Amino acid sequence: MSGNKNDIDRRHFLRNGLWGACLAGLGAAAGALSRKSSAENTVWQIDPEICVACGNCATYCVLEESAVKCVHAYAMCGYCRICFGFSGPEPYDINEAAENQLCPTGAIKRTFVEDPYYEYTIDESLCMGCGKCVKGCNTFGNGSLFLQVRHDRCLNCNECSIAAACPSGAFKRVPADEPYLLKRVDSVRNNTAGCKPLRSRRFSNGVDIA
Amino acid sequence: MNVRLATANTKVLIGVLIAAAVIVAIVAVVRLDTTGKRGSGLGKEFVYDVGDLAKIDPNLILYKESTPAIDTGFTKTQAIAVDSEGSIYAAGDKAIRKFAESGNLLGETRLAGMPRCLTVAGDGQVYVGFKEHLEIYDAQGKRLATWQRLGDDAVLTSIAVSKNDVFVADAGNRIVHHFDTTGKLINRIGARDMDRNIPGFVIPSPYFDLAVGRDGLLRVSDPGRHRIEAYTFDGDLEFSWGGFSAGIEGFCGCCNPVNFAILADENFVTCEKGLIRVKIADPDGAFVGVVAGPEQFVEGGASRVSEYGPGAQAGAFDVAVDTSGRIFVLDTHKGVVRIFTRKKGE
Repeated sequence: MSGNKNDIDRRHFLRNGLWGACLAGLGAAAGALSRKSSAENTVWQIDPEICVACGNCATYCVLEESAVKCVHAYAMCGYCRICFGFSGPEPYDINEAAENQLCPTGAIKRTFVEDPYYEYTIDESLCMGCGKCVKGCNTFGNGSLFLQVRHDRCLNCNECSIAAACPSGAFKRVPADEPYLLKRVDSVRNNTAGCKPLRSRRFSNGVDIA
Repeated sequence: MNVRLATANTKVLIGVLIAAAVIVAIVAVVRLDTTGKRGSGLGKEFVYDVGDLAKIDPNLILYKESTPAIDTGFTKTQAIAVDSEGSIYAAGDKAIRKFAESGNLLGETRLAGMPRCLTVAGDGQVYVGFKEHLEIYDAQGKRLATWQRLGDDAVLTSIAVSKNDVFVADAGNRIVHHFDTTGKLINRIGARDMDRNIPGFVIPSPYFDLAVGRDGLLRVSDPGRHRIEAYTFDGDLEFSWGGFSAGIEGFCGCCNPVNFAILADENFVTCEKGLIRVKIADPDGAFVGVVAGPEQFVEGGASRVSEYGPGAQAGAFDVAVDTSGRIFVLDTHKGVVRIFTRKKGE
């Protein structure tokens, strides 16, 4: 038996085994590094065209105050006097009084620009990402209010707990150097299906919002 | 003996602790919601619900859907018109399709671009509005004319033809262009001019409709002001009617009505987006009744931008009427034309 030249002796077996283990380890390390590198180059974001503003963003984030906030695409906004993202469906009156505001935390500010136009801004320190205003704006308006993961807050967890709880699958990984999925006027304007923005508003008092 | 008892008690205690830990773990796992199916858990003050507004008193509904809807076959529908013979024209997917009352397809005219609005003149010519210009076709689909482009900002949304006058609503420039039938510009109507007591149109989104009434006045929707305005052909604002209300008698939302048509009895058919309501108003704007309400058009009552797929906004429905008083509603969500007739005795 020992005289057969095809037989593998213990030394050869150990050497080959060691080489195999080293190569496998190297491969695993490279794979892990590649995966980690890939994960580091992407971040979580909400696709506003898919988001249904269910409210889960407000409560499923691991942060006590969600990393998701409402943002406003000013170029899409109609600057309406009666904004259904700001006012409830049946406001008592059309003004800034608390009882007429839709946002439970009063995070939307309404500022007179020029008759009959008003500007709406989000106070992110008050916004909790519930998406109530997003639903109102999407249902009746141009959809200029939408939710985004704010990357000054997001921990970029490997398994985002909001993404797991998102009923519409709106959470996706996006390149870290383009971390926001913003609504754009042109892409919406070219969609002929329905309500969409027109162009930048230029007001006589000097406000010019593209 | 005491040692045995103490050992036994310790074992029981450990067993109870383990059992309690297992029960707590099971409860925690059962209560854990990693899929979000149980909802956000937010209180009712965080819920946006227009379900009550979508409900309409059945006694107010004066019309019924008389025949099966006509499937346009388009993936994107944009506008409808009805000619004097009752044929129905639908615009969408770079084409105009003509249907018989029965729903049979009578013909199709292919277009170079996406049509945004159309109307059929008394002589049968079909005026088709694109984003920035108009084209005119004969009844057989042959192009007769292409009019001048109205600029990059133009967004044409409606056309009306009255004998020798052609009116084109331009939502982008928030103005009505008044042409003769050769395409020569006569004047522009509705620009802000406080010396003439014209406040200017408020058009937050590209829904801007017009029609010529039997009284010879041009009616133009001003959705940002929730009203319909009446102009002479020279551009003088005569009067207006309408106002904001979530109630059935007014126009709901930020900007409505989005479309309207004028019946032979001079009553108005108005259509709202958001809470999609098709209603009848008399010539002075008084509420008469409902053709169809949100629950008849959209499941859940209110259309939401995000529930119609990527890129799809909540389309507003177009309306048209024929000489017999039937009302045609273009359901842009389903791509069908729904036909409503007045209930007998209503």
